[in-house]
Amino acid sequence: MSTTTASRRSAPTVEVDRPGSHRQHEVLRLLPNPLLIFVLVFLGALVLIPVLYIFLASVNSDIGVANGEFWPSTVTFENYSKIWTSVGLATGLTNSVLVAGATAVVSAAMSVSTAFVLVRYSFRGRLSILRGLLALQSVPGTLMVLPVFVLFSSAATYLGIQVIGTQWGLFVTYLTFAMPFSTWVMVTYLRGLPKELEEAARIDGASNLGVLFRIILPLSWPGIVVSGIFAFLLGWNDVLFASVMTRPESQTAAVALQIFGASQEGGAIPYYGQMMAAALVCAAPVVILYLIFQRYLVGGLTAGGVK
Amino acid sequence: MSTDAPHEVRPAADTAAGRAPRKADDAGQPAHKGGLRRKGLSERNRPLWMLIPGGALMIIIIVVPLLLGIYMSVLNLDQYTLRKWISAPLIGAENFVEAVTDSPLLHAVWLSVSYSLLAMVVTLPLGIAAAVATQNAFKGRAVIRSVFLIPYVLPSFVVATVWRTMLQPGGIVDEALATVGIHVGLWLNGPQTFWTLVLVQIWASWPFIYLLALSGLQSVDHEVHEASALDGALWWNKLRYVIFPYLKGPLSLAFLIGMLHHINNFTLPFVLFGVPAPADVEVLPILTYVTSFQSFRFGLSAAMAFISLVLIAIPLFVYLRAVKLDDAETPGAKK
Repeated sequence: MSTTTASRRSAPTVEVDRPGSHRQHEVLRLLPNPLLIFVLVFLGALVLIPVLYIFLASVNSDIGVANGEFWPSTVTFENYSKIWTSVGLATGLTNSVLVAGATAVVSAAMSVSTAFVLVRYSFRGRLSILRGLLALQSVPGTLMVLPVFVLFSSAATYLGIQVIGTQWGLFVTYLTFAMPFSTWVMVTYLRGLPKELEEAARIDGASNLGVLFRIILPLSWPGIVVSGIFAFLLGWNDVLFASVMTRPESQTAAVALQIFGASQEGGAIPYYGQMMAAALVCAAPVVILYLIFQRYLVGGLTAGGVK
Repeated sequence: MSTDAPHEVRPAADTAAGRAPRKADDAGQPAHKGGLRRKGLSERNRPLWMLIPGGALMIIIIVVPLLLGIYMSVLNLDQYTLRKWISAPLIGAENFVEAVTDSPLLHAVWLSVSYSLLAMVVTLPLGIAAAVATQNAFKGRAVIRSVFLIPYVLPSFVVATVWRTMLQPGGIVDEALATVGIHVGLWLNGPQTFWTLVLVQIWASWPFIYLLALSGLQSVDHEVHEASALDGALWWNKLRYVIFPYLKGPLSLAFLIGMLHHINNFTLPFVLFGVPAPADVEVLPILTYVTSFQSFRFGLSAAMAFISLVLIAIPLFVYLRAVKLDDAETPGAKK
């Protein structure tokens, strides 16, 4: 330890400080090497062992999983062909893609125009709306699920509009709950855009819509993608609303998996292999989306500060 | 300097009933010259109609149900009266009285708060350690950063399903612990379920702390690193006195949001333990859900939901005060 501090102390007088140079990294280093390696290995193992286990268990036999095997004694991929009907993933994934996808597209479109107005114009109640957006992100779903359910069933009773049990009900619900966060993401993104282009366009006689479509939209694709992905994830990950408001034919993948898991209790050995295969299939789109857009998503997360 | 901004902003503060005068101040912050010209333009022709679709949606699906929920909390509402809830009998505060005196609500509040705090207390050091360890560049850092975020991006229902399988009696976790001579007993039933919930929540949510800690570390100027290197500060002292002060802001934010998120987390306990959940993991969201959709005591459940809203309002209020709604670049202060 004393040697490293000594060398650090003398270093700046000798070396030229170039960004990216070895010394630069030394200066940024916050932990001594052994501790650094310990932290990385510990946390890496903490994450990767369960993730690896999902895959290994999905190709294992149910008895193997039940006996606590990590490495499968017999390897079979037939779980991956069974889950489409047994868990109902074929219907579930179709519904999830439809509902979450529609939520993503519509909420991205709505949030960009809403954020545009909130960021670029001043009007009464603007700050209240911004504050409301933040507050609404934290309204717990369990608080809303019963009244929303009652509202929707009243729509059926009094207006003859059947919402419960259809994908429409889920879509409208997810869209609404995605809006506050998506809009907030867009607000932070649009704030970062330079105003000069817009001003130039306005001097050239562009209307509000012209500015939105010609200037804002092309510039804010990364923000739009992020807010769309968050809306998608909200729909994809939800179990609460989907478990209350769907029928078997409108079930999302999340509910299908939850019900399959819960139905395995008691009796014979549960279909662990199928559960893990289905879990992996449900997680895959999310993880892939995240890997592709990682850079933007992380920025959006810290900007909005909410999952 | 600040001649035009108050004109634009103060009405906003006035219309929002019950808001403290302080809001008018933070709204009326920096105004720049040239505001008159710009304001003229934007006031004549503001596309406020663009707010209508989102606003309508939020009023119909969030505000109306919220009010409906409050109304339902004073009704005697069960599966027979639910269809015609408009004519359900009013029973005043009875639901609230029952929720507080004759239901597991207080226990659930205690469970929710203690579980959230415990999970937070462990995730904070984990997240900070991860952020500190990935701060300086090394080969494979990008991969490690992606790996660290995996638990966070996995859907909660997947995380819960996987841990449920791993924690089965005789499952992989029990086997692994048995090889080192530890026998814990049941994870998914009985009194230890509380700790199971805490552990799985920690596994799932430490990367969030990591993310925010990382953003805090990135705000540390390079000069600061240089200076402490020049001083020859020991790594521990450097962390303690130089780096950690930079993390205070982002981590307080992470703390608040994390607490809100834990308290509101329904999916994890629901999928991990199923319903009816073991008594030691009957956290607020589960209790509220079970009361409406298993016991069909809708009025009681609405009262419980209302009480949990009050509970959540505390961290939420702190959070809303802490977040900067506006920066200097926004219309209240526009050029």
